[in-house]
Amino acid sequence: MKNYRVKDLMVPISEYATVPEDATLFEAVQALERAQEQFNQNRYSHRAVLILDKQKKVVGKLSQMDFLAALEPRDANLEQIRNFKQFGFTRKAVALQQEEYLKSSPPILDFYSEAASKKVTEYMQRPTEGEYVDENASLDMALHQLTAGANLSLLVTRGAEIVGILRLSDVFAAVYHSMKESELQKTLGETQ
Amino acid sequence: MKELHKLLDRIVQRVNINLRELEFDVNPLVNTLIPAGQMTKFYAFYGITPHHALNLVFKHSNLSGSYFLGKVRVTNSLLYKSDIRGDELKKNGDLFQYQDFNIPVDQDEEISIEDSFLIKTLVHNYSHDPETLETFFIKDTVSTHYANIHGSPSDGSFLGPFATVDLTTIRDCVIGAYSYVQAGEVSHLSIDPGTVWVRKPGDFNFMYRYPLGQLSNYVYFAAGSPPQGVFMDFLEDRKEAFERVFNVVNIETPESVPASASLDRFAVIKPKTKIGENVLVAQRAFLQNSVLGKGANAQENCYIINAKLEGNNVTAHGAKIIEADLGKNVFVGFNSFLRGRPGARITIGQECVIMPHTIVDVRKPLTIPPGHLVWGLVRSPQDLEANSMPLKDFAKIDTRVCRGAMLFEGSGGSFVSGFQERIHHILEANGAFFDGKLKRGHAQRNQNISFNTIQPYPEGDKAGLYPTIIIQP
Repeated sequence: MKNYRVKDLMVPISEYATVPEDATLFEAVQALERAQEQFNQNRYSHRAVLILDKQKKVVGKLSQMDFLAALEPRDANLEQIRNFKQFGFTRKAVALQQEEYLKSSPPILDFYSEAASKKVTEYMQRPTEGEYVDENASLDMALHQLTAGANLSLLVTRGAEIVGILRLSDVFAAVYHSMKESELQKTLGETQ
Repeated sequence: MKELHKLLDRIVQRVNINLRELEFDVNPLVNTLIPAGQMTKFYAFYGITPHHALNLVFKHSNLSGSYFLGKVRVTNSLLYKSDIRGDELKKNGDLFQYQDFNIPVDQDEEISIEDSFLIKTLVHNYSHDPETLETFFIKDTVSTHYANIHGSPSDGSFLGPFATVDLTTIRDCVIGAYSYVQAGEVSHLSIDPGTVWVRKPGDFNFMYRYPLGQLSNYVYFAAGSPPQGVFMDFLEDRKEAFERVFNVVNIETPESVPASASLDRFAVIKPKTKIGENVLVAQRAFLQNSVLGKGANAQENCYIINAKLEGNNVTAHGAKIIEADLGKNVFVGFNSFLRGRPGARITIGQECVIMPHTIVDVRKPLTIPPGHLVWGLVRSPQDLEANSMPLKDFAKIDTRVCRGAMLFEGSGGSFVSGFQERIHHILEANGAFFDGKLKRGHAQRNQNISFNTIQPYPEGDKAGLYPTIIIQP
C-alpha cells in the first residue's frame, strides 16, 4: 500500500465550510450549502461545518447528523420517551411512542423555525483528544483513530494550528485504491 | 439519642455510596423527614400464631411503630411505622420453580434488613430472585412513605413515596415517587416519578408515564419537607382513626364478622361496614360504610370508603377505593387511587383489572365496562377511552401498541394471562376459596393472632434504640 501521510489526503481548512461561533444553526447550514455548491469546482464534498472562535481556532464541528438531531423536537416528555431504550424497548417501539406524543404537539415546521435561530454552539460537537491527528502521521495511524473512535473525520494539526480535515470517505478511497492496485499486481504476476 | 443520629448518618452514607453513579444524594431528602422525637415515641409489635414461624432478631436498630410477623432479622436499621410481614416466606423443603429449574429451598427463608431506613413501608411476600432463595434482603436502602417492597430484594437503593417494587431485585436504583416496577432484575437505573413499568424480558414490556405536570397534584416530594399532595392529604385526614386502634390494648371486634373471615385488630372499621365470608382485612386497612363480599380482601394501607365490593376482589397494598361499586373479581393494584364522589360514583364491571398505580379521580359518574384493563390517569370518559382496553383485545397484541402515554410491546396474551394467574394466586393465598375445610389462606390462618409489644431505651445516648432482642418459640 502506498505510504500515504495524513496531509496527502486531508481537505485544507481554507477550503472547508466554517462559521464563527456566534452563528445561528441556519447560518451554519447556509455555509454548508455554499461550500457544497463549490463542490463542482473542486474535489471536496462537504458534510460538516467547522465552528471557529474569534482567534480562528476550531472550537467545534456540526455534522449533518448534529443538524438533523437539532431539528428533533425537544421537551422533558420527549427526553423521557427517548430514554425508553434503557427499559428494554426496541427502536420501533420508541419511534411509535414518539410519533404518538407528537400528534398533540405543534406542527413540525414550528420546530424548524425555532431551531433555525438557535446558536450553532448549542448543537456542535466539541472535538475530543482522540479527534486530532498530526499532518505527518501515517495513514495506518489515522485509520486506527477513525475506527477506534467511530469518527467520520479527524482534525489535522500542524503544531498547535489546525490545518485541515481528514475525512473517513477520503481514507476509505485511498485504502480501497491501494488494495485494488495490490490485487491487480498480484493477478498480473500470476498470469505472467 | 446520639446513637440514633449516628445510625442515620451511617445509613445515608452507605446508600449514597451505592447511588454515586446516579449522582443521587438521599441526605437532603431524609435527614429531617422523621423528627428524632417521633422515633422514640411508638412501641413496636409482633404477631404470634400457631401457623407462622416465630424467629425475630433485632440488633442495634430503631423499630418505632413497626410490625413484624414470621422470620425477620433487623440490623443497624431504622424502621418507622413499617410492616414487615413474613407470612409468605419460603420453607425448607419447598421447590422454587424458575424457568426450567426446580430449585430446592434448603432452609426457611428470612427477611434480612440491614443498614436501611424504611418509613411507613410495607415489606411482604417472598424473594422471587432465584439467586437468593433463603434470604429476602433489604440492604443499604432508604424507602419513604407508603412504599411497597413486595418480593423484591433491594441493595443500595432509594424508593420515593408511594413507590412499589414488585417481584424485582433492585441494585443501586432510584425509584421515583409513585413509580411501580415489576421487571425481574434491574440495576443502576433511575426511574422517574410516575413510571409504571411491567416487563418480562423476551415476552412483554409495558410502560406508562404520568404526565409530568399532573402527577405533582397527587404526590410531590422534594428535599426539606415530607411528601405532599392529594394522597398525603387524604391519609392525614384519617390519621386520627388509627391512633385509637394503636392505643387501646383490647379492641372490640364487630359481631358481624363471619368465622371464616379475618379482621386485623390494627385495622380501622368504621360504622356500617359489612364483612362477608372469607374476607381478609389486614392491619392498617381502613373501612368505612362499605360492603366486602365473599372472598374480597383489603390489604395493608388500603382505604375502602362508601364502596361496595361484590366478592373475590383483590384490593392490593395501599389501594384506595372511595364512592365506588366493584363487580366480582375486580383487581385493584398497588397504591391505586379510585376516588368517586357522592353523586359521581365509579362503577367497575366484573373481571376488570385496574393496573397498579392507577388514578381514577372523577367528578361525574364513570362506568368501566366489565373485562377491561385500565391504567394511568383517568379523570373523564375521554381519559378512560385512552387508558383502557378490553382484556380480550389486549390479549391479541403480538407486536406493539401505543395509546397516549402507554407503550406495550410483546405478547399481550402472556401479559393478560400473567395478571389473571397472579390474581387467582392472591385470592387463593388470602383464603378467598376456603370451603369450610380446605383451601385455607391468610383469612383463616391470621385469626386469633396475639400481639406483643417491645420498646426502646427511653433516654440517654441510646434513646430510641432497641436493645438486642431475639424472639423465638
